[in-house]
Amino acid sequence: MNTRKKRLAIVGNGMATCRLLDELLQRGALHRYEVEIFGGERGGAYNRILLSKVLGGDDPDAIVTKPPAWYAARGVTLHDGVSVRRLDTTAKLVETADGTHHRYDVAVLATGSQPLVPPLDGMTTDDGELRPGVFIYRTMEDCLKMRAHARAGDNAVVLGGGLLGLEAAKVLSDGGLHVTVVHAARTLMNAQLDELGGEMLERQIESHGIFVRTGRTVEAVLGADAVDGVRLDDDKTLAADMLVLACGVRPQVEVARASGLPINKGIVVNDTLATEVPGVYAIGECAEHGGRTYGIVSPAWEQAAILADVLTGANPQARYRGSKVYTRLKVAGIDVASMGRIDPELDSDEVIQVVETRRGAYRKLVARGRTLVGAMLVGNTAAAANLVQLFDRGDLLPEDPLEALCPGASLGGDARADRTVCNCNKVSEASLREAISCGAASVEALCLATRAGTGCGSCKTELAQLLARHAPAAKRVVAA
Amino acid sequence: MVSQLLPATRAPDPIAPLATRTHCPYCAFQCGMVVTAVGGGPKLEVQADPAFPVNRGQMCIKGFTAADLIDHPARLTTPRLRTRDGRLAPATWDAALDFVAERLTRLRDAHGPAALAAFGSGALTNEKAYLLGKFVRVALGSPNIDYNGRYCMASAAAGQNQAFGIDRGLPFPVADIARTKALLLWGANCAETMPPLMQWIGEQQSGGKLMVVDPRRTETARLADLHLQLTPGSDLALANGLLHLAIDERLCDLDYIARRTQGFEEVRRAVMEVHPAHVERLTGVSIDDQLRTVRWLAAEESSMLLSGRGPEQQSKGVDTVLAFTNLMLALGKVGKPASGYGCLTGQGNGQGGREHGQKADQLPGYRLIDNPEDRAAMARLWGIDPAALPGKGKSAYELLDALGPEGGIRALLVFGSNVAVASPNARHIERKLASLDLLVVCDAFENETSATAHAVLPILQWAEEEGTMTNLEGRVILRQPACAAPAGAKSDLEILCALAERLGHGERFRFSSPEAVFDELRRATAGARADYSGISYEKIRRAQGVFWPCPTVDPPGNHPGTPRLFVDRFAFPDGRARFHVVRHRPAAELPDAAYPLYFTTGRYKEHYNSGAQTRQVAALVEAKPAPRVQVHPRLASTLGVAPGGALVVESRRGSVTFEVEVSPDIRADTLFAPFHWGGKSSANVLTNPALDPSSRMPEFKVCAVRARAASTPVDGAVP
Repeated sequence: MNTRKKRLAIVGNGMATCRLLDELLQRGALHRYEVEIFGGERGGAYNRILLSKVLGGDDPDAIVTKPPAWYAARGVTLHDGVSVRRLDTTAKLVETADGTHHRYDVAVLATGSQPLVPPLDGMTTDDGELRPGVFIYRTMEDCLKMRAHARAGDNAVVLGGGLLGLEAAKVLSDGGLHVTVVHAARTLMNAQLDELGGEMLERQIESHGIFVRTGRTVEAVLGADAVDGVRLDDDKTLAADMLVLACGVRPQVEVARASGLPINKGIVVNDTLATEVPGVYAIGECAEHGGRTYGIVSPAWEQAAILADVLTGANPQARYRGSKVYTRLKVAGIDVASMGRIDPELDSDEVIQVVETRRGAYRKLVARGRTLVGAMLVGNTAAAANLVQLFDRGDLLPEDPLEALCPGASLGGDARADRTVCNCNKVSEASLREAISCGAASVEALCLATRAGTGCGSCKTELAQLLARHAPAAKRVVAA
Repeated sequence: MVSQLLPATRAPDPIAPLATRTHCPYCAFQCGMVVTAVGGGPKLEVQADPAFPVNRGQMCIKGFTAADLIDHPARLTTPRLRTRDGRLAPATWDAALDFVAERLTRLRDAHGPAALAAFGSGALTNEKAYLLGKFVRVALGSPNIDYNGRYCMASAAAGQNQAFGIDRGLPFPVADIARTKALLLWGANCAETMPPLMQWIGEQQSGGKLMVVDPRRTETARLADLHLQLTPGSDLALANGLLHLAIDERLCDLDYIARRTQGFEEVRRAVMEVHPAHVERLTGVSIDDQLRTVRWLAAEESSMLLSGRGPEQQSKGVDTVLAFTNLMLALGKVGKPASGYGCLTGQGNGQGGREHGQKADQLPGYRLIDNPEDRAAMARLWGIDPAALPGKGKSAYELLDALGPEGGIRALLVFGSNVAVASPNARHIERKLASLDLLVVCDAFENETSATAHAVLPILQWAEEEGTMTNLEGRVILRQPACAAPAGAKSDLEILCALAERLGHGERFRFSSPEAVFDELRRATAGARADYSGISYEKIRRAQGVFWPCPTVDPPGNHPGTPRLFVDRFAFPDGRARFHVVRHRPAAELPDAAYPLYFTTGRYKEHYNSGAQTRQVAALVEAKPAPRVQVHPRLASTLGVAPGGALVVESRRGSVTFEVEVSPDIRADTLFAPFHWGGKSSANVLTNPALDPSSRMPEFKVCAVRARAASTPVDGAVP
């Protein structure tokens, strides 16, 4: 048997790779593989989801999940700040942008996404660089540049009213900037919310001091040198000291394309996360599975666990069957949850909506038979935890689906009135409550009236609780 | 460690001349009781001891009825040996001991010493735990000894050792619980499992917040200001998520972290990925509730997290406990007044039981069996060659799984444990027990385990003999005989000494009294982690118990014991506590299409563990005659069962039938049943023996089951 360690090359060092490393190490992969990571962004791996913290002023290190020393300490080779040009899948070589070659036995592409950048007039300078004041919101470097640029009292325009754009807008607004979100679709977060939901969210956002222009886009960036405004597609102009582009992402497939891997929207993989080229796998936002690509992190984590199972042999039969999508936006005062379908798909799908106009809350369920196929919550997400578990597990909804929107509603206090509180003397909660309503106002009086608590005495704490809950306020005397 | 005296360490007021102060036979709270022999015995009258500072005059229904065990008609007072026709027939002590010793010798000669094993218990006194460990390692020469505390405290013990360098259930007296401003009870239903503890929690609630984490709305959860009704098996994710939020909200005590701990940086980076929305999805606990919990824990001047078996009895129990210690260390609470992490020990002497050598990997005084210095110290005391001292044996479930010709263990001695009911995958264990060449059960009653025993040896009970126990606080207390022992029964100590004599090791097993065993135990623990050397029976009587560690000091006997640990240092050489990177992982078995429901287990107030004692007490049986499976109304309607109906519950390991209790207090995706019964309603037939990689704790609290309405009702209470 060949005992030489295999070379495992991972291209990209984002959140998918970070999790894949944890999963591999947990399965003892370093006994079988020499692991080499190629990360285009310098400084190890960081948590992209928390970028807004850095934008808001946190130390960049606060979101670094694996600093370069982490790799060194575990004998994993990190090529920090080294981009990959292509894989030579015949010679099994990783070819880097600076022209070096590294042999591999197994290669994993985890190249993530690239931001969508609309071609706006005046966005770049003559030499093709972004004009000062124009920012793409994607990397740590972008964030640091934005942070250095933004000053209280400035005007900022954020192009894109999705999750990322809104988070950036909130942070900039909190930093004292005048912020306008320009969003091309008719309503905000249109991938996760229906129009009513988007409108509710817009009201919430505006109540936090951020202006929103939906159904509009930026046509041109104005200014002689640095940005001093933008022109919208209705010909109106907005003064702006900075323009933040948060227009969504698409799978980053350049390395895959240069390597001759099959690509559709993303790098096409099967249930083992393998491409059709032997020894080459892909996970995360760059991968396309079952016709779907994902722009959020939890599918990448699920894929990382499956791939680690397969590559280490910990569970060679592990298979990835696609992910259910759950999105959450939660920044001070703005609260959104969305899962699965936002609108009915089949004629038989049932839609349940609760709209609270004054409170600005909107809750919607999409049910197929008695299973939940989608839900969205704006302004009141108390039921989100409950719903996402029903959605994930496919468990039956309550007969009245509205109950699913009210967590805890099924826990009525009266349901257990027949239960025995004092076991020694068999006194039920109902009898105790009757005694309380008849005037027993202290634990002692309650004991005397019902004999509860006169045996082992261990229910006395509970008697006090019952008194606290059910005694008329004026009479309440809770014994210590 | 700085030790402080408790205010109430004076000797208690005198009691009536014929009364005796002792302690309850059941849980780790070890209520002080005053026992009077009515008319000189054998009928006993039991009262709660108002002077004992732990239960302060309260007791639960189990304690109040404990005297029923003493003069019980089913009480065993004659040794019994299995006859050729399969009956258990009375025998003399000599015949029984000769039989056991002869067969042990024969099996050892044929299969080697490792073919002999013993299974101990958290119900045994420190003296018995110590002597049983010595007996197995010296007289049998076998590595195979473990105990039912492996099913109870093992995860919390391993976690505390790794985080704090020492394992004592609570690092403070229970009275501190009443003074904490924010109390988080995690997977602990103490209103049912430890009712007299609730007086301290009641006091706590008069000025503080109570939070309860439990998949069920238990009697304890009902009292809480906030109940987090999480998905079974998701505790680790929730604890990590709370730490994530603590960091995000800047609630950590960075000064404390810098001064008193090490390893925070790596943990901080690791929990960064535990996003609240992800935690919400895994646990079913809303982000708002996560936030509320961590804010309460951090903001209050004192806060405490106490865990029970819920998070610990999982195949990731140790990592879950480490997530708790991470959280409380990061908040800077551990070692502060009325603050920190603690575990609510389950069994009466779950604490002392693990300290004195009943565990496969430990020697007395919390010495480690693979540490050469610890081995040398014990070999010296026991007068044997260190090389002759066996190494690490198998953990509880692994030991039972190795019974019989296939696994290689041919003889098992069981002391104070009903393993046939208490073990996961119980049908499998029953079969293993039946395949033994020798099964010896030492107990006061017949039970499911003795059903296949070759010899049943009747022992003394709690009120009939002397010995020390170490309660959940680490307080070493003294049980004192309150009545005469019945003719025919012997102490476990006597049995061990008599067997050692027959096995040719008599000279190492000659003790005139339990106190003489304790004296040897003191010497064995001198200088060790759990140091008892400065404790004496007399000192315990005088001071209402003594907290370990209590080393020998000059002048001898003057050390006051250590009520509070970690006040200024942790038990590592550098004095710093350790953070540990731990990540959520799924339970070993999750619901799927074939077995779509979670199943979890727990206790009733009226019964104790395998029910071997409490199912003998008429008042308790009357109060709770049989187990009932708790079913959410929605699930009940789907399954087509009504209250009082019968439900067949099946896992990959077996099938049982329960009477149905319909209750909105349980999650709709989960079934719950108590594990106090054997037979057709044995919850542990269903449970999964997946083990924690380091504590070897089985995953009692999460497995996957399916359920259907039974065609016939449950056929009465199972004996």
